[in-house]
Amino acid sequence: MKKIEAIIKPFKLDDVKDALSEIGIKGMTISEVKGYGRQKGHTEIYRGAEYVIDFIPKVKVEIVVDSADVDKVIETIITASRTGKIGDGKIFVIPVEKIVRVRTGETDSEAI
Amino acid sequence: MQDQLRAAREALEELWVQGLRGHELLKAHTELADKFIIKHFSGSTAARDSRGEIAVIALGGYGREELYPFSDIDLLLLHDRGSAKDMKEVAESILYPLWDGGFEVGHSVRGVKDSLSFAKEDFFFKVALLDARLLAGSESLFKDLLNRYQKKIFTGKRDKFVATMEQFRAERRDKYGSHAFILEPNIKEGKGGMRDIQAMLWVSKAVFGLNDLEAMVEAGMLTPLERERFMESWDMLAMIRNRLHYVSKRKNDQLIFEYQEEMAEAFSYTDTKGQLAVEQFMRHVYGHLQTVAVITDIFFEHVGEVLRRKGKDDREDVLEQGIIRRRGSVCLSGTENIREQPHLLMRIFFHAGRLGLPVHHRSRQKVRENLDLVDDKFRCSKRVTASFLAVLKESRDPESVLGWMLDTGLLSSYIPEFSRVESLAQHDLYHIYTVDRHQVQTVAEMHLIRGENPELFADLSSPRVLYLSGLLHDIGKGRQDDHSRLGAEMVLRIGERLALTADEKELLAFLVRYHLFLPENGLRRDPEDQLFINQAAELIGSIDRLNMLYILSVADSRATGPSAWSGWKASVLDRLYQQLKNYLSVSNREKLGFAPDGQDISLLIRQLSDSLAGEAVQVDVNKLPEDYLRSFTVEQMGKHLFYHRDMAGRLKQQALLFPEPERDCWSLLMLSKDRPGLLAKLCGVLSLHNLNVLGARVFTWPDKTVVDMLEVKPVADISFKEQNWLRLEEDLNLAINYRLDIGVRLYEKRKKFRTNPERHVQRLEKKVVVNNNISDRFTVFSVYGADNRGTLYHLAQVLSDSNLDIHRARIATEVEQLIDVFYITMQDGGKLKDKEELEKIKLSLLKIVEK
Repeated sequence: MKKIEAIIKPFKLDDVKDALSEIGIKGMTISEVKGYGRQKGHTEIYRGAEYVIDFIPKVKVEIVVDSADVDKVIETIITASRTGKIGDGKIFVIPVEKIVRVRTGETDSEAI
Repeated sequence: MQDQLRAAREALEELWVQGLRGHELLKAHTELADKFIIKHFSGSTAARDSRGEIAVIALGGYGREELYPFSDIDLLLLHDRGSAKDMKEVAESILYPLWDGGFEVGHSVRGVKDSLSFAKEDFFFKVALLDARLLAGSESLFKDLLNRYQKKIFTGKRDKFVATMEQFRAERRDKYGSHAFILEPNIKEGKGGMRDIQAMLWVSKAVFGLNDLEAMVEAGMLTPLERERFMESWDMLAMIRNRLHYVSKRKNDQLIFEYQEEMAEAFSYTDTKGQLAVEQFMRHVYGHLQTVAVITDIFFEHVGEVLRRKGKDDREDVLEQGIIRRRGSVCLSGTENIREQPHLLMRIFFHAGRLGLPVHHRSRQKVRENLDLVDDKFRCSKRVTASFLAVLKESRDPESVLGWMLDTGLLSSYIPEFSRVESLAQHDLYHIYTVDRHQVQTVAEMHLIRGENPELFADLSSPRVLYLSGLLHDIGKGRQDDHSRLGAEMVLRIGERLALTADEKELLAFLVRYHLFLPENGLRRDPEDQLFINQAAELIGSIDRLNMLYILSVADSRATGPSAWSGWKASVLDRLYQQLKNYLSVSNREKLGFAPDGQDISLLIRQLSDSLAGEAVQVDVNKLPEDYLRSFTVEQMGKHLFYHRDMAGRLKQQALLFPEPERDCWSLLMLSKDRPGLLAKLCGVLSLHNLNVLGARVFTWPDKTVVDMLEVKPVADISFKEQNWLRLEEDLNLAINYRLDIGVRLYEKRKKFRTNPERHVQRLEKKVVVNNNISDRFTVFSVYGADNRGTLYHLAQVLSDSNLDIHRARIATEVEQLIDVFYITMQDGGKLKDKEELEKIKLSLLKIVEK
């Protein structure tokens, strides 16, 4: 089991959500985040005054899937969220040790 | 016996069904409990045989005969020395049956002395005693308690009593005034709820010896009109609380969402166009809470003034004839003055706003009583308008001043459209405040933003219109249609009355119409999508308007509630704002679709070369024009270069088309050798194939290859696959080789559609505007006309015949009006500055749209 964390552009959320549900992903966690990577924030110039944008708003999508599905999910996210421009985001894959569904006590794959 | 009680309570429910409401129902319930208790008391042998005296006393709400279905029954079992030892048994004989009957009972067993000393300690017991009512037993013992209570507790301690009452009131406002309680009001503890009513009655009873509303009116503490409105609201709230207890089957005073709908149904509200039943119901609830809040506020201000009058400075400053400042508030100095000079009704708020002082409660009453003076003459008075706009713009605490203006009814009398949204609730988790409060809050937020970010306000062309837009942006709510659109029409009429200039009216309507544009698009559109940014910037038009729209959007979101605003949402909105500002600030950068983040051009070239990964192409990437490099992604440019290489043979003879479906439209890439009138022909062929052009960008590579990027949309509702692209390409190549007469074909096509609706459009502005300033490199022609098939072809043809190069075209449709914007240069790449030549071209273009 892996957890996939994808940082995407906010306006791509609907596309990503739709694409993921099309390939059968049933649940995900969404958070509104801010940050920067290679994009480094950037400087806007307005009336001669520099205006520094440090943190850029993004959406973080978290999904836990069986290891076998990881590639398919990543590919889906990439296709749905890519604009080809700087700041399209990143995807992290993290091993998950254990999952428990609180209500039923089911574990691991059953609980995804 | 207990079963009888239950049955009786069910009978109460029956009475509700039969239409018994509000106070009557409370009284019926009280009588029921009274009978029950009296019966058990008189049946108690311990009470009958006791040597001392015993009194059974109802306290609090029960004492007042206002017993709600699941309210506590507060009892005091009073005894003297002789009966003290019998009380255990007496209490049991009364309390057990009550408990078994399902009542919540609050009780105490005390002697007179013990009661008084406890009342000194405990404020709630103290006020509960104010409503004491003898149910059964010794009247002399009860009287003894009351007499000593008055003497010991109140004599000489009125100030402290009032101060404690006010403190509790403030604490309640604090605790139950938070966002959650505004959406789901607490009928008992919330602002304008039952506690506020009781607090007023307690104070007038304890401090002034006035036992009811009637006595208060006689003493001049309430006006008859206020009493009437107060009674009505009180009765309504009683009814609501009553029902709420039944609906929730327990002692619950908070009108939470799920009950709101059920209550609306119980009170026979029904959905209408544009307003849900629950929204109408909540509107009335908020209205009644508001009435109670306003009247009790005035009462407490009055009490405070009476008690604190001693030794205070009584000096008066005359602010203007008829308005004075006295003891830290602004007052009207006499009713006669208002009757003669109605504008004082507005002036008093102007002074209060300017000085940051409250409007005295008596003067607020006076304003309310004299609203009949607000007639059409008042509404169109320049003098009143000036004061009103100054209130919006210059008040130190606009939230309070506008709040008073709303509470007194002046705002809705002055702007009658406002009464439609008074207390109007929106049944969702998003909107915390009712629409009227929300709009007042929006103006207040604008002032806060001005404090945080004065730069934004520095050069605004019309701050007064901005503030007005804050106050009126949701004025179209509560009806079926799109509230922004409706509001934009309504504010035109309001602007007319306020004698705004034509430009100001247009600006006001624009701000109201598009007040959701930025927040909506901030989350839906890519802020780096140049096409979108260009279109949005054209819609907005200038930095001045953008700034105002941005301030309105932020203030509106902040005034909506916590779920509409967060640091994250702020940064999303801010990014969109910055992109638009960059686009609109022509002094900084070229206006047309360049990468906005100032990426340097050599970096772009390097990225492009890297992406080609050593593959040979037939153009020197270092010599590609800068605007081309900035207009496409590296992948797109790579694709262009490979097409150019792989289809070099065909390209020598033909123009090649590469269509692709996009989110909102289809993109159409054309590669071709440079040829005269190429863009015009392309536009003509597209029209013949029922495709509308939304925008075009034209680039020429160093080897004279033309790369055109168009966004097109089908006229009819057909899919990308259904469009016959091959045929389109064939026709284009026929046209290029002069074997297809586009002009004739378009004419015939138009003839066929003679009767189509585009013939019946409203009267449209037709004009051609030339601007040599908005772009550094291009002369810009804007052509205004009707949306006719083929117009674009003819316009482009004229420009091409005049030996001009079209670099960009943008076709915007605004409410049936077509605006074609062409960015052109002369063949040598310079702007066209020759006046005579410009006039000639303008005329030729105008002829086409006037046809």
